[in-house]
Amino acid sequence: MSWKKVCESSQVLENSLQKFAIDGVDIIIANYGDGFRAFPPFCPHMEEPLVSSGMMMAGILTCSKHLWQWDLRSGEILGETEKELLFYDLKREGEDIIVNFELELSYDYGDDEEDAMDDDDFFNAD
Amino acid sequence: MKIKVQTKNGEFECDSEQGEILLYAALRHGLNLPYECATGTCGTCRARVRDGDINHQWVDAPGLSFVNQEKNELLLCRSTAKGDCTLRVPAKVSEDPHDKTRPGYRKGEIKAFRELTHDVVSFDVVIDAPMSFDAGQFAVLDAADVTGGRAYSMVNYAAAETLNFVVKRKPDGKFSDWLFDNDVVGMGVDVFGPLGKATFHAHEKKNILCIAGGSGIAGMVSIIARGCDESHFSEHKGHVFFGVRGARDVFFLDEFSSYVEAYPENLDVTVALSDEDVPADLKNRYPMIKFETGFVHAVTSEKMADKYDNILAYVAGPPPMVDGALRMLVLEARLHGTDIRYDKFG
Repeated sequence: MSWKKVCESSQVLENSLQKFAIDGVDIIIANYGDGFRAFPPFCPHMEEPLVSSGMMMAGILTCSKHLWQWDLRSGEILGETEKELLFYDLKREGEDIIVNFELELSYDYGDDEEDAMDDDDFFNAD
Repeated sequence: MKIKVQTKNGEFECDSEQGEILLYAALRHGLNLPYECATGTCGTCRARVRDGDINHQWVDAPGLSFVNQEKNELLLCRSTAKGDCTLRVPAKVSEDPHDKTRPGYRKGEIKAFRELTHDVVSFDVVIDAPMSFDAGQFAVLDAADVTGGRAYSMVNYAAAETLNFVVKRKPDGKFSDWLFDNDVVGMGVDVFGPLGKATFHAHEKKNILCIAGGSGIAGMVSIIARGCDESHFSEHKGHVFFGVRGARDVFFLDEFSSYVEAYPENLDVTVALSDEDVPADLKNRYPMIKFETGFVHAVTSEKMADKYDNILAYVAGPPPMVDGALRMLVLEARLHGTDIRYDKFG
């Protein structure tokens, strides 16, 4: 376990998101009204940078590229969205937003060394 | 030759002709692979070659920024097979059981070429076999003198032997240069279509909002025309916002005037001029049309406030305009992604 302070809650306004770096790794902190979420800085679909393409409204995150949407209150995918967002564990201590940062979370876009497009279980993956 | 396609839900197989675009080969055999622009820019039809040799048609395609060429990835809309091959597509894929709705090839001939503005033309393509398509769909046109196909929305709809298109001249646009600089009437073009998912069906019983910039209005005319023909606007609202730079850039206003005249209670059409105030003579010439100054998404935002009940929104135009409209629809109008339809070309 490696809990690290990312920012203070007042730095991310309600229904907005911001990019921060921990140990040189970018993450997004989003304020969905009733709380906060921490996730990687790219859309899981086609690697759009969410700091510019991500839109926050009423607790819902929308990527402007293909309108994939996630309800950040429940973490669930909405509509025709095909992939889940990966979330870092997050907690608040007073004003501080603290994230459990052990391993960088990332999505398979088919360009990693060992990616699902080459795996034998390609057909079973999400 | 045989094309095997491995997908998230199993393996499919289809035939391809020599030199045929792989995406088109799959689509015309009813294999619904992911795509949007079908012409090399959006990156949605990314796939990986597992086996076989491939020809790449357009080595500088903008959509290639989404693929990893070192991993033998390609854009299906810009590649052909040299022989049998096996591909992987990172998506679930469905099969279209209906022959009639599948896209296919037609031989076409350009007719009825006319200038709509200083840089927009309209023309018909008479095809050798009827094509059945929905309002809002597009086709890829390929001329012998220009490398690579271009995607254009049909202005008409239904089962037609004539497809009507609108094209705006683009700086350095090779296809539009060819159209504008030659006497193209009577020239042949290869047509592949219909394509696109931003379609309109009256049975969805929705109020319609169309936001278009420039020649993006083509598909909206098709949607509004169908809505009028099927009396959709006797019970549902239709709002059209058409963005252009100035008064010299407007077109189709006679057509829109007649639609508004048919359904004055429920249908409204607003032209937004981004670069100049609205000249009085334009207002006088088109009393059925509303005119505003500003960017089309900003004008839409102002005029549509509180009118988003049961709305289905269609968006088409240059990429910055589409982006502005999508942001407005999500952030201000709070529409769900499933209630916004557009085909990503940027």
